[in-house]
Amino acid sequence: MSNDVAPKRLKLVSKPSRTADKVFFAVAKAAGYSSFVLVAAILFFLMLRAWPAFESQGVVNFIFGAGWNSTSDPQVFHMGPMLYGSLLIAAIGVALAVPMAISISYFIAFMATERLAKVATVIVDLLAAIPSVVIGLWGLGVFSPVAAEWGRMLSEALGFIPIFSNAVDIFLRSPFIASLVIAVMIVPIIASITREIFSQMDQEIIKGAMALGGTRESIFRKVILPTASGGIVGGVLLALGRAMGETVAIFFVLNLTFDEFNWFKILEPSGGAVASLVLARFNEALQTELSALLAAGVVLFVVTLIVNTIASYIVDKAQPWRKL
Amino acid sequence: MTDTLSMPRPKNAAPWVNLGGRVRLASWVASIAPSAIFVAAWLGLQLDFMAALLTIFLPIQLAFGAWAGFYSYGRKGVNDGLLVVVTIFFSTFVLVLLGSVLWSVISEGAAALSPHFIYQNNRYITGTTGLELGGAGHAILGSIIITGITTLITVPLGVATAVYLTETRDGARGIVRTLLQALAGLPSVVAGLFIYSMLIVSGWSSQVGLMASLALIPLMLPTISRVAEESLRLVPTELRNGALALGAPSYKAFFMVTLPAAKTGIVTAILLGVARIIGETAPLILTAVIANETNVNPTAGGMATLPTYIYNFLYLGDATSLQRAWGAALVLLIFVGILFVGARIASATRVGTKPKRRKK
Amino acid sequence: MSNLNHLETKDINVWFGERHVLRDVSLQFQNNHVTALIGPSGCGKSTFIRTLNRMHELIPSAGLSGQVLLNGQDIYAEAVDPVNVRIEIGMVFQKPNPFPTMTIQENILSGLKLSGRKIDNAEELVHTSLTRASMWNEVKDRLTEPALSLSGGQQQRLCIARSLAMNPNVLLMDEPCSALDPGSTRRIEETILELKENMTIVIVTHNMQQAQRVADSTAFFLAENGNPGEVVEFDTTENVFIRPKDERTNEYVNGRFG
Repeated sequence: MSNDVAPKRLKLVSKPSRTADKVFFAVAKAAGYSSFVLVAAILFFLMLRAWPAFESQGVVNFIFGAGWNSTSDPQVFHMGPMLYGSLLIAAIGVALAVPMAISISYFIAFMATERLAKVATVIVDLLAAIPSVVIGLWGLGVFSPVAAEWGRMLSEALGFIPIFSNAVDIFLRSPFIASLVIAVMIVPIIASITREIFSQMDQEIIKGAMALGGTRESIFRKVILPTASGGIVGGVLLALGRAMGETVAIFFVLNLTFDEFNWFKILEPSGGAVASLVLARFNEALQTELSALLAAGVVLFVVTLIVNTIASYIVDKAQPWRKL
Repeated sequence: MTDTLSMPRPKNAAPWVNLGGRVRLASWVASIAPSAIFVAAWLGLQLDFMAALLTIFLPIQLAFGAWAGFYSYGRKGVNDGLLVVVTIFFSTFVLVLLGSVLWSVISEGAAALSPHFIYQNNRYITGTTGLELGGAGHAILGSIIITGITTLITVPLGVATAVYLTETRDGARGIVRTLLQALAGLPSVVAGLFIYSMLIVSGWSSQVGLMASLALIPLMLPTISRVAEESLRLVPTELRNGALALGAPSYKAFFMVTLPAAKTGIVTAILLGVARIIGETAPLILTAVIANETNVNPTAGGMATLPTYIYNFLYLGDATSLQRAWGAALVLLIFVGILFVGARIASATRVGTKPKRRKK
Repeated sequence: MSNLNHLETKDINVWFGERHVLRDVSLQFQNNHVTALIGPSGCGKSTFIRTLNRMHELIPSAGLSGQVLLNGQDIYAEAVDPVNVRIEIGMVFQKPNPFPTMTIQENILSGLKLSGRKIDNAEELVHTSLTRASMWNEVKDRLTEPALSLSGGQQQRLCIARSLAMNPNVLLMDEPCSALDPGSTRRIEETILELKENMTIVIVTHNMQQAQRVADSTAFFLAENGNPGEVVEFDTTENVFIRPKDERTNEYVNGRFG
């Protein structure tokens, strides 16, 4: 037994022996690899048609500059205000939605009776499935005038703060309204995820906190929130990604201004959103503008990809047992 | 030997439920007083509802909540009282807004809904035609056809992908999962742009129903494969191993044991996937012309779906058009609701799910 | 026998929904004293111990009648805030449950933070609590490490230290060693013997040798034939194990059932 070479480790690989099995695994593998094909195709074809716009406008100018004019000579296609608008509206929407979503999740998970909790859960999950076009319809038909009124009151009461000032005294089709609509749309999404996280928390931890003399609020703030924070942040970022790509929900309640950035005057009827840009210009667009629209789509895809990747990473770290 | 020593539960067997006098008083006062003050101020001073709500009701309710907590339980009760107020306020606000969405769709939609709305199309409708003529029949049909084609393509693809992720030992699985994650975040308008850039710009096809179906594939695939993968995973490995130990080849073990066990999960996956794409608008606008007539041919001519129908009339914006939009929205919501309820029923009968939280 | 830290129950009956699960439990727990609650699974020991710090009422459909007197005061009286009860009466659970997002140090102080009490000298309190739980030397150099970096036995002792930081007069322990290896179990038993100098300790255990090692008194619970559980015998540990008065006790301690 002395100075033997360590026995060679046999790598045990089970290879399918029957033809039927070979076919089975081959088909499965092909399906799996089709994801590669799909993502590659998306990137390829988009870039193919979008490239002329990147080239003629200059990548940096295209993404960060302002102005969108198909009739001028030379044509100007810069998506800066649109991209900023998407981010701004999504950010405000998420900021508004998060407290509401956490509240309702806390209520369902820790305050409601079991029956009420079940009913509320079904409602919240169902609301998460409402198509965005229906939200858009509600946004225009029902909510917009009300929200405009709120905007007006805000500007009257707090107009000295720049963010609430409004020089044109028109309150419809503003980023404020768009943000509110986005918030309404994503509250169920965040609430679904948060409620799931709350209800899957280790009850032993909470019992331990109660046995130590914790009160409802102190347990929520010092035990529940910190433990759930990773998953919540991940869910929020996912909602952020969804909000940025949202099209029809806000298309009718936002006025697009291409030529200048509306940095913070959210009550004024001037804003931007990349997806709305595409929808707005698509039908009239000729070749060069089409290329620019495709380029805008590429940029949007990349941005949402980044946000979603960060989100998945955070969710994974926070809940290692959820392999999604 | 029977149970002879049990006593029936007396009426007052949960003494903690009888809140002490202090707590009861505090709860009553804190629940009613702020609302009373609010209503008085709102009506009496003719204030705008929302403004009064935020500037009068909320601060007063918070103060009362804090006081109620303090009065009942001392200093540490203050935060509890505030938490309760904040939670209920926000939850109610959310529910009211979302309830408004549902309520609007139901009430406005019901006004437009009539039997002929379901089956007629809009061939002869102009902007001024009243609601008695025309309907969304063509859109309903279009939704069914386009969603149907996408489902027929994506479900096998998604389930096969799930099989790939659970049954094979391929090294690329991690990357595939990441790609599916990426696809899950694909903005729907970009999906439309993709098909447009790939097939339509080149002249390979024009804007027809089939293109719309293809644009929906990358949107449906991540949902189906994720839910299907989860349900395949939930099938206990002992089942599969049992089949293999009996000498079954892998594919037989899968089709005869694993798949039937995951059946309800797969059904859930399909229903959720369909619910996801049936409400999509942007990709369809880019890839299919919105028609006013009934067209069952996905390879030629435009086709309307419920979401694009809604979009169309929303765009027109006049009162009658909006009513048509509401009607279609109600139909769409009913479809989504049925799919969703179906998915919940399916998942509730799932075999071998994660055990429920045990109450000790 | 001083009256300090005297914990006593009078005719405790427990229901879950309509089901009567514990019947007429009347026990006294004294200062400087460890009392073990033994009996076969499902006889209501864990349920009973949870009535002592008002954790029982957290279960939906829980019902209770009778009194639990802490120094003569019924903790279920109308004006009593259950949170205050739990500040006075500590509990250690079967599965170690340190707070995962906190460090060792933060865990020790967590009880005071959660109950809103002021911390006068955090360092000293951490030192004292860990010493009383017999683990100061092990972790004194890594107080700022995550609590989950400890082994199972250490985590449980951390939970004991955490409860001790609240300076309770009564400590309830619900099968504290059943998830641990024998080595950790021994260490915790030693800790219990040290702690009882200043406290009243009630420990649920299904390990009869453990009861004999640590407990001064023992109560034997039994639920027969679907009847509600009750205390068959309550006496000094020695009497219960060597000279049991009830035949059923005799059978149980000699391993003939359960």
